[in-house]
Amino acid sequence: MKKLVTLVLSGAMAFSLAGCGSSKKTSNANATKTNSDTSTLFINLASEPDKLDPALNTTIDGAALAVNSFVGLLTYGKDGKLKPALAKAMPTVSEDGKTYTVELKESKWSDGTELTAKDFVYSWNRAVNPKTASDYSYLFDVVARAANSTDANPVLDVTAEGDYKLVIKLNAPTPYFDQLLAFPVFMPVPQAAVEKANPNGDKPGAWAQEAGFVSNGAYTLTKWKHNESMTYEKNNNYYDAKNVSIKKLNFMLSADDTATYAAYKSGDLDFIDSVPNDELKNVLKSKELKTVDQLGTYYIGFNVNSDLFSGMTPEQATSFRKGVSDLIDRKYIVDTVGQTGQVPAGAFVPKGMHDGNGKVYKSNYFDATKTGSSNIEQAKKDFKAAGLEVKNGKDKSSFKVTKNGQEITIPYMINTNTGHQKVAECIQQDLAVAGIKVNIDTEEWNVFIQDRKDGKFTVAREGWVADYDDPINMLEIFSTKSGNNDVQLGKGNSTAAPDWKHYDELINKIYSSTDNAERAKLLHEAEKELMATYAAVPIYFYNDIYMQKSNVTGVYSTVFGNKYFMYAKKTK
Amino acid sequence: MSKYILKRVILAIVSIVIVSAITFFAMNLIPGGPFNKEKAVSPQVIEELNKRYNLDKPVPQQYVLYMQNILKGDWGVSLNNGRPIWPDITSRFAVSAKLGFSAVFIATIIGVILGSIAALMRNRWPDRIIVFFTTLGTAMPSFVLATLLLLVICLQLGWIPVFDADNPNYILPIIALSVYPMAYITRLTKTSMLDALNQDYIRTAKAKGVARSKLIFVHALRNALIPVVTYLGPEIAYILTGSMVVESIFTIGGLGSAFVTSINNRDYTMIMAVTIFLAILMVVANLLTDIAYKFIDPRIDFNN
Repeated sequence: MKKLVTLVLSGAMAFSLAGCGSSKKTSNANATKTNSDTSTLFINLASEPDKLDPALNTTIDGAALAVNSFVGLLTYGKDGKLKPALAKAMPTVSEDGKTYTVELKESKWSDGTELTAKDFVYSWNRAVNPKTASDYSYLFDVVARAANSTDANPVLDVTAEGDYKLVIKLNAPTPYFDQLLAFPVFMPVPQAAVEKANPNGDKPGAWAQEAGFVSNGAYTLTKWKHNESMTYEKNNNYYDAKNVSIKKLNFMLSADDTATYAAYKSGDLDFIDSVPNDELKNVLKSKELKTVDQLGTYYIGFNVNSDLFSGMTPEQATSFRKGVSDLIDRKYIVDTVGQTGQVPAGAFVPKGMHDGNGKVYKSNYFDATKTGSSNIEQAKKDFKAAGLEVKNGKDKSSFKVTKNGQEITIPYMINTNTGHQKVAECIQQDLAVAGIKVNIDTEEWNVFIQDRKDGKFTVAREGWVADYDDPINMLEIFSTKSGNNDVQLGKGNSTAAPDWKHYDELINKIYSSTDNAERAKLLHEAEKELMATYAAVPIYFYNDIYMQKSNVTGVYSTVFGNKYFMYAKKTK
Repeated sequence: MSKYILKRVILAIVSIVIVSAITFFAMNLIPGGPFNKEKAVSPQVIEELNKRYNLDKPVPQQYVLYMQNILKGDWGVSLNNGRPIWPDITSRFAVSAKLGFSAVFIATIIGVILGSIAALMRNRWPDRIIVFFTTLGTAMPSFVLATLLLLVICLQLGWIPVFDADNPNYILPIIALSVYPMAYITRLTKTSMLDALNQDYIRTAKAKGVARSKLIFVHALRNALIPVVTYLGPEIAYILTGSMVVESIFTIGGLGSAFVTSINNRDYTMIMAVTIFLAILMVVANLLTDIAYKFIDPRIDFNN
């Protein structure tokens, strides 16, 4: 009997070991295996999208679906630059920068009805209407309101002159307004369908909740098996249909990266938007892995009103935060946790952003590749300036910082996520050098974002990906009234918090500025003021990765993470 | 019997109301909210949404309104995606039920057969092998088994595609779902079969010269099945409501993931709907189990 059990057990082991061995062999062979259907692209972006109405979407994967099934006045080309889509040419702008005139191409909805300038007027007014409850309606804040506009029923100063001309009035010159014209919330929606599905006004997104809804982009959704798959088919009424060669987009709706990666390796998918963290190192050198810089910053937020700074002056609190920033080894975090070539951040505004005056916005407040252990002397100086006691350790690589003779403990709040956990552990080790203890508090996502907004934290992991390429989108979030000002600058009564009135004034000035050169200067000034507080300590600039089979070409992604599939080509 | 059933139905309704009330108040106590986003949503938008879904009213009033709607057959819409709840739940349930019933059916048939073999051939090699695999089956978490199946059958052997939108293959998820109940039923059957085989009435039957097959199938197995039926009731309700892990790995739009995602999203209407749905399934399954006893074991008398 014993022999038999041994036999069964060894058989099972041999089977599992054989499985391990062959997995390595076949993984490379499978890397190029692809689905033979060259007219269909098999894609995974994420799990079930919440909303497909471009005015109601709030997610990056939802925006990717929006750009492939709807199209606005402008769009992004393969070179990452804006180009006319439904507009005949780029908009003409009046001398004062406040009036945009757009001539429209003649185009149709997927059901064959004409799409005119009136559709834009309707769609945009619908997006700003509070009843629609669009999260992104604030992007229309730059557009002037018409004389008959009220809070309950806002009307934009946007008029259709004839069927194919749109005149848009802005409150102030807005250098990034062209970009907004390519943003999903600015895309047109079919009035008849929207109103038919929502007669009582309490179901604004109902028209796009099942397959078969009318759209105007390269593809229309023809089949939707909820939580499993979506099929988009080519829209022959798309304005650029002649250049669309892939007939179908088939989406696997899954957020399980083990499953999606397996589907990619087995050739069932041509494109995946994420790779399991454990597999990253295996695919880093693969030609199928694509990396795109994103306009976003991973940072650490200090609650400026927290007890951590009690008894300190605003300057001392800033020095304390700077001391912490000095000790964080950003390069190590990027190399060991990020792994995909993220850039260590020495400023808050991400690398590659434009300044609204035709130039790349450049700023750098410290050498982010050299923070960490090589920065110990600077950190000591900063902690001393913060009024803390600094005692040298046994060797040069460590020291002890105390506050009124007490050990310093920093609670660091993250949401449940392996990556954030790893970054937190890196920071824990970095600060251990100064004898500062970091307690990692992990919270469930929904609680985490609530606590962050309510300022119920001391230090928290933070991140911000820009909606459009202009530094104001990064800097505005720290104005006192912003709902995203998690670090609580300008809020609360702590004597250790910096005075924030000037920053708010700067942001207002930027919004109303009529001179782009002056505006660019103001942006720098605002960032300098923000960085001087060290309330938001930048760690690295985000990038976006995806994998695409080598027989697929023509897919491109923007700095906002939107993927454009309509010009893809697939060979055998 | 009808009196008994009526009593049970009334009790079931009371249980469902209690479960719904506890869930409703508990979910409102969890921090966070359905419209929380990483990028802050303007107060006007939140206000409009709260008004639209009655969330601006006191919680007890919300509960009363919700229950009134449920009685009218209106399950509301998901706060997360705005889609009506009832069609969503029923289509998810259709998938989960298909998988669940298949899994339970397979698990019961194979489990009872293997359990009986193990009992009849106690301490001989078939018993040992069965014990080995049932131990493995009960010990292995479903996410390990499901991942293993995905990697071996889909990736290594390439027998079944990982993803095929038009022809989703349900074989692997059914296997993943059935292994644990199968192993459990095998063990239950074995234990109770052994117990039954040692009873006096079996010895009497044997002495009276009853055929071995009749002895096993009619006399022993029928009694041995009582614990299996007890287990099957709640297990059916449990398995029919899906498994988050298996659905996630095999990309199946079942009910299991609705439980987890609705809580993560604080999708109150969806949380309530799936909870009430599960509660109904549970009480119905338990009621059916009790009725099934009567047929398996005539000694059971509902009147006392």
